[in-house]
Amino acid sequence: MRCGFWRNVPWSGVWHEDRGVKIRLTVNGEPREADVWAGESLLTTLRDTLELPGSKNACEQGECGSCSVLLDGALVCACLVLAAQADGHEVTTVEGLADREELHRVQRAFVEAGAVQCGFCTPGLVVATAALLEANPDPSDDEMREALSGNLCRCTGYAKIFDAVRLAARS
Amino acid sequence: MQLVRPSSVEEAVAALRGGAVALGGGTDLVPLLRDRIVEAETLVELHAAVPRGVRRCTPTSTSPSPSSARFWIGAGTPLAVLEAEPEIPTTLREACRLAASPQLRAMGTIGGNLLQATRCWYWRLKFPCWLHGGETCDAKEGQHREHAIFGNERCASAHPSDPAAALLALGARIRTDRRDLPLAELYRLPTDDDRSMTTLEPGELILELELPAAESSIYVKAMDRQRWAFALVGVAAARVGGETRIALAGVAPVPWLVSSPEELEQATPLPGTAYKLEIARALVQRALAQL
Amino acid sequence: MARLIRTEKEVEGRYEEVWTVVEEDALDQWPAGPLEVVGQPAQRQDGLQRARGEARYTADVRLPGMLHAAVLRSGVARADARAIDVLPALELPGVQAALSCEEVDFLDAEAGYPGAAVAAVAADTIEQARAGVEAIAVEWDESEPLLDPDEAIARGQLVSESSSYERGDLEAALAGADVVVEAEYRTQSVLHNSMETHQAVCHWEGDTLVVHISTQYIWGVRDELAEKLGLRPDDVRVVCEFMGGGFGAKNGAGDYSLIAAELSRRTGRPVRCALTRREENLAAGNRNATIQRLRAGARSDGTIVGLGGEFVNAVGWSGWLAGTDGPMQMLYGVDNVATMLRGAKLNSAPMAAFRAPGFVEGTFGLECLLDELGGKLGIDPLELRRRNHADADVLDGRPYSSKSLLECYRRAEPHWDRRHEVRARSDETWKHGVGLASQVWYGGGGPPSYAWVRVGSDGSMTVVTAMQDIGTGSRTAMAQIAAEELGVSLAQVRVELGDSARGPFASISAGSSTIPSMGPAVRSAAGDARRQILELAAQRWQKEQRTLSLKGGRIVCSDGGSWPLESLLGLLEDAQILGMGARGPNPTGMRVLTFGVQVAEVAVDVGTGEIRVGRIAAIHDVGRIINPLGARSQVEGGIIQALGHTLSEHRLLDPRTGTVLTQTLDAYKLPTIADVPEIVCEFVDEPDSHLTNLGAKGLGEPPIIPTAAAIANAIRDATGADVRSLPIDREEMLRALAALARAKERSGDRVAARPA
Repeated sequence: MRCGFWRNVPWSGVWHEDRGVKIRLTVNGEPREADVWAGESLLTTLRDTLELPGSKNACEQGECGSCSVLLDGALVCACLVLAAQADGHEVTTVEGLADREELHRVQRAFVEAGAVQCGFCTPGLVVATAALLEANPDPSDDEMREALSGNLCRCTGYAKIFDAVRLAARS
Repeated sequence: MQLVRPSSVEEAVAALRGGAVALGGGTDLVPLLRDRIVEAETLVELHAAVPRGVRRCTPTSTSPSPSSARFWIGAGTPLAVLEAEPEIPTTLREACRLAASPQLRAMGTIGGNLLQATRCWYWRLKFPCWLHGGETCDAKEGQHREHAIFGNERCASAHPSDPAAALLALGARIRTDRRDLPLAELYRLPTDDDRSMTTLEPGELILELELPAAESSIYVKAMDRQRWAFALVGVAAARVGGETRIALAGVAPVPWLVSSPEELEQATPLPGTAYKLEIARALVQRALAQL
Repeated sequence: MARLIRTEKEVEGRYEEVWTVVEEDALDQWPAGPLEVVGQPAQRQDGLQRARGEARYTADVRLPGMLHAAVLRSGVARADARAIDVLPALELPGVQAALSCEEVDFLDAEAGYPGAAVAAVAADTIEQARAGVEAIAVEWDESEPLLDPDEAIARGQLVSESSSYERGDLEAALAGADVVVEAEYRTQSVLHNSMETHQAVCHWEGDTLVVHISTQYIWGVRDELAEKLGLRPDDVRVVCEFMGGGFGAKNGAGDYSLIAAELSRRTGRPVRCALTRREENLAAGNRNATIQRLRAGARSDGTIVGLGGEFVNAVGWSGWLAGTDGPMQMLYGVDNVATMLRGAKLNSAPMAAFRAPGFVEGTFGLECLLDELGGKLGIDPLELRRRNHADADVLDGRPYSSKSLLECYRRAEPHWDRRHEVRARSDETWKHGVGLASQVWYGGGGPPSYAWVRVGSDGSMTVVTAMQDIGTGSRTAMAQIAAEELGVSLAQVRVELGDSARGPFASISAGSSTIPSMGPAVRSAAGDARRQILELAAQRWQKEQRTLSLKGGRIVCSDGGSWPLESLLGLLEDAQILGMGARGPNPTGMRVLTFGVQVAEVAVDVGTGEIRVGRIAAIHDVGRIINPLGARSQVEGGIIQALGHTLSEHRLLDPRTGTVLTQTLDAYKLPTIADVPEIVCEFVDEPDSHLTNLGAKGLGEPPIIPTAAAIANAIRDATGADVRSLPIDREEMLRALAALARAKERSGDRVAARPA
């Protein structure tokens, strides 16, 4: 008989403390403040403190792209950015891609092309597609494969996502 | 824990004294912190401290072939910048492009990439394996399809960095806050007494890289899927100053130089990694043919 | 009128004979082909909410005062948790409650697999809850795990009684056959990895337990929680409006919802229990691995005279026997068939239904075996399948309610004909080939299922039913059906779903059953509303009701008169028209099945073992298609999941400890967009004239079934190598190529191998 040890639990020790840090950042064009702890991820801050749950938490390891946001215009996984690192920077989430009542062309294209199924990966894919079209207004299929390979989707089979990117590029 | 955000190399170096941990792009470190494989009282964010960017530079006195053109790369440069940099040698550009995912390449820096920890699942799941200070390598006895075929006597983990292999093939040098060294000397095979994979001293910081322009170079990579996977085998080959060098990713605990294709036959594959040797043979042959 | 009948009920391929209350279905089927709304491509009604990040999933539920639960899971494959002390956890900051297997019976002290839950803690933050879990003191009494399925069978460690089936005389048939092939196939365990992990948020409103849960079966969760917690079913309210994928793994309540409910009861606060990605891949179900030892015999004219299979499902610690033997029994018109299916009880996580459970695995073996047989016979694979087509159900001679597999084959021809051109692309490095495979599956759905349609004076038409849309687009399909029946545009119909307190009983979304179970109920409710509208219209304009119909948003009379619908509905004021509908019975004495064929084109790099799938053509027969846009997406999604199953996905276990090594998405390799081949998708789109008022069958599962075999057969076509084990990763591909080279060396055959 021996004691089981923590080798395959879903977390390997608790990384947390209560000491707080105040951060100020621009989210979707608005100045925001939040009290965070030093190891807190930007994703947690966005979802739980700033009440922007559009970015999804699906792996918490930077492997699925569901939490993709723009940090100073660069496409990043919000789960890998510490909130404290975003202090002083600009963040755009899926909620901020379009103006309040407007719809971003990528969002419209995803719906029109049928590229949304369960939709849990969709916010990340929409942000990644917007970043792609910003850098490359008329991407080839290979460029789409390259640019969106960090966004895992388990439902659509991706085929309609190609259609959506093409549609958004044309509109 | 605290996060400090120095704005100069000097401040960063000072902040790193006393066991603080350097935070580059965070793509590898943040999950390791979350899993408490790495523990830190202080994180030192390098973003504003470590140089970034790429430029042509004049050869330094330590350069092996001072006549040829060279490149200077700031260690804080994200991989995404390098993959879009038309001037740098193809092997490095391709190694960056084929690494990880677009999000991770936008965040991950070249300096951090060189110091990535292994993807060995036993190590990441905190098995009390040899690399964690234990007695035996769990992978050798267990599942090791993604593991090493060279240098695997103690630890069968595979080094995941594609750019490291490319830079090794190019004969790149790195400069830290305290020394200038060939990249090959950054890496060491771990020993019973010292199980670290690099020669970096505590608090030592990689600041910049210098590499030659290559007459010709290439990077080819075998993965389990078309994109966004670590290398089963990555092969970098470069011809610099008339000399051809080959380096491999994903085949040993550290990026692995082979002096000739024949040297592949000195591999010591495990039962579950023999196929990697076959892939390495094919890719080395193809890389050399295309050089 | 409701009737009580004795009927067969089928879920995921399992039949049971049950008493069922059904209501007659008086509506005639619509004519075949695209109609005004049904059969037309429709955008998702909730697509914008999802694309703007406004859809609220269970993962997004935040309730005032909500606590977070963390779960203590076994770290080893086989251990008993003894002397669990949760007191140290309760002393930690933020921790509000803890429970363990010593006090609740939904947690088991006998932890039979790594990841088995034995205790849980609720705290103000998830980090505090995790700290609490780490503080729990447990003595683990560990024993040697059993991980090898063959050994489990030899030791008699079975999850349930084995299942044997026999028709005709297999041994005699094989003895008399001109050609016999025999081979062992293996499939690996794969993980669902829905993007939203398993999770629930529970809270109590008085005596009512409110459960927000990511589920495929709202009503099943209600009943299961009521039973396990000793509540009346209607004291459990289950809510799931948006759901991030399930693929079969979210058919039940799961221990996480029980943990959240119990911790919420103890603390009086809402409790969230959400699995992390790692927990998901440890303990939330998987497609079990299989071993298939198969035989086939045929006459030289290609008539298959016998099929035999010994199947082992590596079920895990618990679970059921998915029908790996099903395709062998059902797909072809073969007289002599014998199968034996055993389920190994192992110290690995319990299996869960995963998109066509059993049939995905069994079709890989059977359809590869068929090509090996065809190779020996020198008969073209498509022709071999045609010659052995089953014209009536082979299990008991029942007629099929509809079957268009031969039509699928006919439509596959142009894709199959590309093989000469594809093979001709081969060079020294890349070998190209084409393969195909057929598919059979259930997908007829069944009663009971109910829907209401509410029509108000403002002209709004609302379908109300407590079903779930697991991401497949059922909400939109239901709206299309109601709009068609009511003669209005799709935009005029909305669907309220996802809440057991706000609508009638609805079917599980599993076994490809949502459309065939719910669709007819919705049409029937809309039909009832239509009848009532026409009744009122007949009175308003003094016409005979039989002369009136609804079309294009108008009430149309056969005498040429027509009035806008609003001119009648506007008279309702606060009155409402309430249509009620129910799913009618399945046709008695008939077999309701789905069929299809896929043709895959691959290229194999014989130096590095890389496999690239270039194109897959999928032709499926699932009756009427409601939404072609959504249907295509289902096919593409099924094919890509199959692609992962075939080439890159593999739940790896440490052979000594049973630990899942591929818990994260870098190690467990789902396909990315870069892996997607060209996918050509066709439907026969012929309504099943015997099945319900719609003639529509389910499509969730059929497209994932034949893909692996089609790819493996294409690889054999390209290289001559037999790949009989999934995944066909580089190691397996290079192994198969080396085996082929050795075989050629032995036979002295220097001619490039290719089946005739």
